Amino acid sequence: MKQESEWEPKLLGFLCRWCSYAGADLAGTSRKKYPANIRIIKVPCSGRVDSLFILKALRLGFDGVLVSGCHPGDCHYQTGNYRARRRIAITKRFLEYLGVEPQRLQASWVSASEGGKFSEVVTDVTQGLKEVGPNQLFERKKNGAKAKAGSKGTA
Amino acid sequence: MEQKLRQEAKALLEQGKVDWIIGFAPGSLKFTTTPLITQDKDDAEQLVINPFITNNLANFLTEIKGRVGIVAKGCESRSIVSLIQDNKVARENLVILAVPCPGIIDLAKIERLVGKDRDELDDITRDGDRVSVKVDGKKKEFPIAQVLFDHCLACELPTPQEYDIILGEPRLPAPELKVSGQSIASLKEMTPAERWASWENELSRCIRCYACRNVCPACFCQRCFVEETEPQWTLPMPHWQDNLIFQIIRNIHVAGRCTDCGECERVCPVNIPLRSLTREMYDIVGELFQFKSGMDKDALPLMVHYEQEEAEDFFR
Ligand code: SF4
Ligand code: SF4
Ligand code: SF4
Repeated sequence: MKQESEWEPKLLGFLCRWCSYAGADLAGTSRKKYPANIRIIKVPCSGRVDSLFILKALRLGFDGVLVSGCHPGDCHYQTGNYRARRRIAITKRFLEYLGVEPQRLQASWVSASEGGKFSEVVTDVTQGLKEVGPNQLFERKKNGAKAKAGSKGTA
Repeated sequence: MEQKLRQEAKALLEQGKVDWIIGFAPGSLKFTTTPLITQDKDDAEQLVINPFITNNLANFLTEIKGRVGIVAKGCESRSIVSLIQDNKVARENLVILAVPCPGIIDLAKIERLVGKDRDELDDITRDGDRVSVKVDGKKKEFPIAQVLFDHCLACELPTPQEYDIILGEPRLPAPELKVSGQSIASLKEMTPAERWASWENELSRCIRCYACRNVCPACFCQRCFVEETEPQWTLPMPHWQDNLIFQIIRNIHVAGRCTDCGECERVCPVNIPLRSLTREMYDIVGELFQFKSGMDKDALPLMVHYEQEEAEDFFR
């Protein structure tokens, strides 16, 4: 019980350098509070975020992933966030179909001037992850048993 | 149909209109067919069209140089169009020989129905909406909906839209045959945790033979992400976790390219219900972006195009 109440979700954030990363910076310099649960990776554009990054993060045990970029129409590269939106949309829908909790993949538009919004988004996403609990998606359940049975079978 | 195909294929090669013909020839096992890829006009005599032409021949287009005459069922024609959309093949290098497709027979279903291996069956014949199987001197009849591949029961385009020569009368989709969504529907009734566990269970059988990828015309990469080592996205060992990641990413990569041809599921040696993944992605893409793979050769590929306003609901 004690351990569970101390558990804090680990959130991996992919923030585009032009908007959301600057927004996170602004949140910091204007002393807005947001949970320390997020680890941030700066990407050139939300369009850089490959679905592989998201899967790899979940596979490595992050409890959730947040992708954040410039608002539609404001992309530094004109169209990167539109492409990100399509890709994240199908990734999210497909993961949910497979049985991944919706809270584990989240996305937001945060501009360089929205320090307040950034802190809200991180607070909300972290709260959502606390509700669904630790990511145990890729933990070895069956596989141990299967490996044993398999080695017997092939011996 | 078969005679016309042989004549056309022979003429195309003779007149130098194409360098290659891709079609189907009888397979080495009973009731099977095998892809025939040839430059020899005499091979045209081997070409067949029957209820067992399973492969998606579009798969070979990206490996062949020169002008190609290709036999195409509806799903194949869509895969071809999808490759044109992706600039993987040029329309002017193709002569598409369209087969109005009445659906392909799933031998595994017949085996289950009669309780015999395909080698033990004497004959399988189709007459309209019925299929009769001769076994041990007796004849058993089945309605066609029981023996066609699931993806054929959901086919939206039996007759190619894009073609040069058509081998028979165009056919319309048979809406009353749409009974193919059952496995997806029952998955959706489960809780998310049960669904995940069920995929864990299925993918723990995967042996990473990559047959599903290699048979797929939409998987045309020179180098697949699973073979990358810097960084290594998935481990090459067949752990269910990495097997599942392979399938998730593969489905994301073929989104908007997959035409629900069902080949990946058919070739999987351990019977993983792969179509319950590919068909769901096909439907997601249709629902979110009103996109149907391989319907319009002039349309931009799914991941190249975008609308100013779409799929916004989950963005904070
Ligand atoms: S065909 Fe089946 S066993 Fe082979 S890699 Fe694909 S899912 Fe795995
Ligand atoms: S799984 Fe992806 S990377 Fe691999 S061949 Fe298919 S499309 Fe290419
Ligand atoms: S993913 Fe499967 S169903 Fe889709 S095009 Fe490839 S082989 Fe056909």
